[in-house]
Amino acid sequence: MAERPLSPHLSVYRWAYTMTLSILHRASGAALAVALVGLVLWLVSASLGRDCYATLLPLLRSLPFKLVAWLAALALIYHGCNGLRHLAWDLGWGFERADARRSAALVVAATVLAGAFCLYLILRRGAGAP
Amino acid sequence: MAEFKLPPNSRIDTRAGKTHRASAGAKSVRTFKIYRFDPHAQQRPRVDSYEVDMAGCGPMVLDALLKIKNEIDPTLSLRRSCREGICGSCAMNINGLNTLACTKACDELGRGDINIFPLPHMPVVKDLVTDLTDFYAQYAAVKPWLQTRTPAAPDRERLQSKDDQQRIDRPSACILCACCSTACPSYWWNSERYLGPAALLAAYRWIVDSRDDATGERLDALEDPFRLYRCHTIMNCTEACPKDLNPAKAIGAIKQMLAERQH
Repeated sequence: MAERPLSPHLSVYRWAYTMTLSILHRASGAALAVALVGLVLWLVSASLGRDCYATLLPLLRSLPFKLVAWLAALALIYHGCNGLRHLAWDLGWGFERADARRSAALVVAATVLAGAFCLYLILRRGAGAP
Repeated sequence: MAEFKLPPNSRIDTRAGKTHRASAGAKSVRTFKIYRFDPHAQQRPRVDSYEVDMAGCGPMVLDALLKIKNEIDPTLSLRRSCREGICGSCAMNINGLNTLACTKACDELGRGDINIFPLPHMPVVKDLVTDLTDFYAQYAAVKPWLQTRTPAAPDRERLQSKDDQQRIDRPSACILCACCSTACPSYWWNSERYLGPAALLAAYRWIVDSRDDATGERLDALEDPFRLYRCHTIMNCTEACPKDLNPAKAIGAIKQMLAERQH
C-alpha cells in the first residue's frame, strides 16, 4: 500500500478575510521590527552631530526612502489597529462571527484612510523642501 | 515547523484525472471535481470530474456524491451516516470551505463547478476519507468526562441550575466533525502539539461545567505554549463550524481564565 498522502490545505482552502488579516498582522509585525533598526540608525546619526546627519539627508529625502518610510507607517497603523482588535478579544469581546467581520472591516478601513493621509503628508512636502 | 508545500507523494497529478460525462439526455448538468486517492495503486492523488444531471438528484452535496457513487463510479469512497448534520461523518472541503456535505445545498454554491476535497492537511486513507486518529486522541487528551471529588447523592442526580446548564449547552452541541480544526492554519502547521479548536472547545465545555471538580487540573493541562497558545485568533474555526458554534470564543475564554488565575 502506498504511503498516505497529506490532503491539500493552502492550495484548496478559500482565502478568507480571517487568514488575510492574521498573516498581515504577523508580516507587519516583522516589518516593524526591521523598521525599528532603521529608526535607531537615524537617531544615532542625528546624535552624532550635524555633519553625520547632513551626509544622510539626501538619502532621507529620496523618493524610494520616503516610500519605504510610508510602508513602515502603513505597517504601524495596521498592526496598531489590528492589535486593538486582539486586545478586545483578550477581554472576551468581539468573538461573534458578525462582530469579528465588522471589526475586520473597521481595521482595513482605518488603515486605508490613515495610510492615504500619511502618503499625502509625505508627498506634499516635496523632494527638496528644507 | 510550517511546511507550506505538500510532500511529493501528495501533490495532485493534474494529468491523471478522469472525466465522467453525463448522458446525452441530461437536462441540468453540474460538474463535481473530486479528489481521488487509491492506496492500492502506486499513483499520486488526482482530481476526477463527474457530470451529474441535477434533475434526478437530491438538493444536497451528499445527495450528489451518493448519486455519483451509486450510478457513475462505485470506487468513490466517503464517510457518511445520518444525512442530517448530527453525526459529523461527511465533513469535507467543499468549494474551499470545510463543512458537512449533508447540510450544504448545491444551490448555495453558485453556478460553477463544485470542488470537493478531503479535510485539509490530514493523512488520506482513500479519496475523501481522512485518518482522524490524532484528532480523536487530542479530544481524549482533554479528558472529556465528568471528574468529581464529592460523592454523588444516593437519591438524585448531580443537579445544575438553568444558568449553569446554559453555559455548556452550545459547546456540548459539538459533533466532532473536525471542520474547525482542519480549517485552522495553526493546526495545519502544529497539529502534533497544538490541540486544535475542537478539542479546546471540548475542554472549555468541561471547565465551565458547574458539576465538574477538576477545573484547576484542566487549566493546568492547557497552560502550555503549544497545546493552547498556538491559537492566534485567526477565526477560521468559527467561520467553518457547520453547527454555528464558536470555538474561537471558547479558546479566548480559557485564555482569560488562565490570565485571571495568575492574580
